[in-house]
Amino acid sequence: MRLTRREILVSACCGSAAFAGSLLFPPSAHAEDEALNFVERTLGRQATMSDRLRLIMPAVFPTGYTVPMQLRVESAMTEDDYVRRIRVFAPQNPLVEVVSFTFVPGRSIARVSTRIRLAKPQDVVAVAEMNDGTLLMTKTWVDVATNGCA
Amino acid sequence: MTTPTPRIVVPSSVRKGEVFTVKSIISHQMETGLRKTEGGETIPRKIIHKFTCTYGGTVVFGVDLHEAMSANPFIEFSLMATESGRLEFIWEEDGGGVYSVSHELLVQQ
Repeated sequence: MRLTRREILVSACCGSAAFAGSLLFPPSAHAEDEALNFVERTLGRQATMSDRLRLIMPAVFPTGYTVPMQLRVESAMTEDDYVRRIRVFAPQNPLVEVVSFTFVPGRSIARVSTRIRLAKPQDVVAVAEMNDGTLLMTKTWVDVATNGCA
Repeated sequence: MTTPTPRIVVPSSVRKGEVFTVKSIISHQMETGLRKTEGGETIPRKIIHKFTCTYGGTVVFGVDLHEAMSANPFIEFSLMATESGRLEFIWEEDGGGVYSVSHELLVQQ
């Protein structure tokens, strides 16, 4: 069998894409499972990954002492549909609980900004408890260059 | 340690129904209890562990802070303007210290 130059190039590209894919996807799926398991272990209940909850943090930050964090949940904040509480965890910190925010329907909206300490690069996890008891969660990877908990 | 000084930034007047932003900060070391002195003794934990905002006497927003909050904790949050009234901001420290600031909010109809 003779291969043309094009066939060789195409198969090489597919091969490297598959290789890159095998590197990229399983760890990310693994990280998601890890975050879900962490929440179940910590809160004793299952949470669902959701886009309604957004945790915005820099992907890379020079110091672990004051990492900016912004949280928001899409919610009308009416008596029938509101966010009761958002809890933030840093699973790789010596003490994993970071902060918890409590909201009141019709009075506050589910949007906050603050600064937190991270001991090492890790997935920061946020869990929103809705008024019906549902737990929504999200995570975001933050790479800090220095230990903010020393 | 110096006395913690709280500060807030709030608009002086807002329209009824509007969402407005509050910026709050308190100067505080936020000693985690994880650090040791050069002699190897643990420095006891002393953090601001609670922040509450009341509006016209009702709690409208609350925060439980743990060791992983940065020193000089800064919290920005948003409230809905319902009626003119007093906003009260209360920080509670380990060991019983309480620091507060209040602000008269004018809500235009």
